[in-house]
Amino acid sequence: MSPPTDAERTFREEVLPEIDAIYRFALRLAGSPAEAQDLVQETFLRAWKNRDAYTPGTRARSWLFTICRNVFLRGEERRRRHEEIVREQSGQAAGASEAATGDGEPDHAVFMAVKDRDPEGTFWAGVVDERILAAIDGLPGDFREVVVLSDLEGLSYREVAQVVGVPEGTVKSRLFRGRQILKKELHEVALEAGLLDRDAPEPRTSEGGEP
Amino acid sequence: MNWVRELRRLLKEARGKRTDDPDGLEGGLTCQEAADHLQEWLDSELDEEMAARVGVHLETCARCYPRLAFERAFREAVERAARAEKAPPDLKARVLQALESEGYREE
Ligand SMILES: [Zn+2]
Repeated sequence: MSPPTDAERTFREEVLPEIDAIYRFALRLAGSPAEAQDLVQETFLRAWKNRDAYTPGTRARSWLFTICRNVFLRGEERRRRHEEIVREQSGQAAGASEAATGDGEPDHAVFMAVKDRDPEGTFWAGVVDERILAAIDGLPGDFREVVVLSDLEGLSYREVAQVVGVPEGTVKSRLFRGRQILKKELHEVALEAGLLDRDAPEPRTSEGGEP
Repeated sequence: MNWVRELRRLLKEARGKRTDDPDGLEGGLTCQEAADHLQEWLDSELDEEMAARVGVHLETCARCYPRLAFERAFREAVERAARAEKAPPDLKARVLQALESEGYREE
């Protein structure tokens, strides 16, 4: 048996250890553990076949995210072609995302709503993991992937832009919007769970940093 | 860079005695300007000069500090939720098996 090539060694040492991060990303994209596992397997198979395209010492994780995303989107496209109905659904999803983002709303809407009761947001720590993950899963796809890559996986705007294939400015606006939607959702969750007092007086909007 | 060091010194000095002056220009920024950069500052996406100024403002301004703490608490909760999730233990074995059928060899 011939000794391993450099590309093989790099694959073992830099690429394979990223499996947990790729699984987390795949899970948020695909939504179910079974699909996520298939997606991870396909991602690593593709990475292996294209191992010469990876430059050692660059971020293997970003490279894998890109492959994983492409595999996922190709699968989605296939599904869409076979099911006419899906077209309707994606139309609905686009409409929903429009409504959920609430154009023109100040970034700090939730902060303003709770600042008299819990100005430093200690209630966030009480929101259970499952509800947070469910809220992330509920984000429209364009927002979800940038939030996951940035806030869960720690990629820079530039790295996210490379993975997603959009300009950094787009990453930024999707990220900020995505976080805004998440905050709104989780604020509701916190109210339902009694982590915040619903009956507390509403803050006066005339004061504070409202633009 | 000297002014960066100077800003850090000021920041250290100002900790614990946050100002409540509504026109406070900590870091040479208004509250609105500081708030506009809050997200990018937490994302470590500002250049060194701006990052230092925004940091001084957010950490020392009594009006802005709660927003910073609020945002941090939100992000910590999201990170905590994400970290709670682990790949299934047999996934790596499954992936290795698939790779080996394509010519990959373990050491
Ligand atoms: Zn301020």
